[in-house]
Amino acid sequence: MGLLAYGADGYGDELLDGALVTVQLAVFSYLLAAILGTLMAILTLKPRGLRWMAGRVYASVATGIPSLLVIFLLYYGGTEIVHALLAPFGVDERPAIPPMAAAVAALTFVYTPYLADLLRSAIQNVPKGQLEAAEALSVPRRQIWLKVLLPQALRIAYPGFVNIWVVLLKDTALVSLAGLTDLIAAAKVASGSTREPFLFYGVVVVFFILFSAATIRLANRQSRRLDRGVRASEA
Amino acid sequence: MTFDFALAWTSLPALLDGAWMTVLITASVMAVGAGLGFCMCLVRMSRNRALAAIGAAYVAVFRGAPSIVLLYLVYAGLPQISIVRDTPLWILFASPLFCAILGLGLNHSAYVVEILRGGLSAVPAGPVEAALALGLPPRIVFLKVRLPMAVRYGLKAYQNEVLIFLKSTVAVGAVTIADLTGAANEIFSMTYDPFTPLLTAGAMYWLLTNGLRLGFEALDHRLNRHLASNAPDRRPTTVRRPRPGLSLFGQPLVRRLRRLPAKPAARETQ
Repeated sequence: MGLLAYGADGYGDELLDGALVTVQLAVFSYLLAAILGTLMAILTLKPRGLRWMAGRVYASVATGIPSLLVIFLLYYGGTEIVHALLAPFGVDERPAIPPMAAAVAALTFVYTPYLADLLRSAIQNVPKGQLEAAEALSVPRRQIWLKVLLPQALRIAYPGFVNIWVVLLKDTALVSLAGLTDLIAAAKVASGSTREPFLFYGVVVVFFILFSAATIRLANRQSRRLDRGVRASEA
Repeated sequence: MTFDFALAWTSLPALLDGAWMTVLITASVMAVGAGLGFCMCLVRMSRNRALAAIGAAYVAVFRGAPSIVLLYLVYAGLPQISIVRDTPLWILFASPLFCAILGLGLNHSAYVVEILRGGLSAVPAGPVEAALALGLPPRIVFLKVRLPMAVRYGLKAYQNEVLIFLKSTVAVGAVTIADLTGAANEIFSMTYDPFTPLLTAGAMYWLLTNGLRLGFEALDHRLNRHLASNAPDRRPTTVRRPRPGLSLFGQPLVRRLRRLPAKPAARETQ
């Protein structure tokens, strides 16, 4: 157990730093994907037209390729992509893309359509009367979205959102292959130099299981809170 | 930011080799996952409390851990045990391919357990009771009645899981296997072209996932054709629309005369 000690003797601090990177990565990507997914859901609400088609194409691409491939693409090619995007504005810069930014951008790119899909079908499942009542009361458009439709849609989409969170959390494990020193990379270094793979990978497994269990527990409590005021369906 | 078609063409053989490795691993893991998942599902659903607890722990550990960690555990961890290192088992565990298939298979099988369990517990009691009442032995009832229905119920969830795990096979790069992503990476490190090899590989992954999805949808359609209410009517035109016959007040005459209800009473909705 001394190997897990904090400080120079053990790998406790390295593992903790790695875990922090993993959690940061997951939280940032998830929040960004949730914001962009909400926008995408609203923009592609009508099941026809150009926006809807563009949304389908994007969703098909993003859900059809592995996230690691997107991470590599943005890590190796990110500088060129940013340069090409800035060129029309007369900015001639080639900024170096830190691996963390590439990974967050890639995971956001991949998970936005999943969350958008969940939210879109949730918005469509909000009872029609809600929208009609709000319109009849001439509530402003923005208020209808922010105070009437989205809160109810979020409640409906909540379990799906929690699911995607757990999937994304496990997907972050791949970033160690792109050179980010997350928890997996820290455990790999530690087990390589101490020849104790079971100990360190065991710690990683326990971390992932406990962390997702804890967030699911928290989410269930929150879900019950969101569902107060809604009659339980007769099972 | 350009796509080099000449490079894409010359690197096609290497990428196809990688794609073949990805397909091979996916197919093997599906086979391992189905077998292991089926066995562990029986353990998980066992009436014996201890066995059921073992099944639950199996699912919690192998479903909760990211597949790359399981790969490292199998590849770097198991050879530490002398049973593995000093016996003929070593021949197997020295092979990265075997370790990759085992590691991903453990992960996949845990999902299969839960999908199969969900399907089995969704089978209504009626058909099972009917089969038992007809005197079919319990084993036949399980294999011919419960399992086929459970497979139909779980197919959609299984399709989702297979598509997710097909994409997670990129993790095999961690144990030095050159799959499709590995091949693309190799070409990148030789040419420093960040777009061409990765985008070509991405297109291949897209074709793989969508091909698999179409295959699953065809299977779903075939297995559930008895439910297809909106399927095109393929009967010959002569039998497609039965002639209404002589009717009185909108009901067939015979029914009216026999005083039978026109429709069976609406079934209670669940």
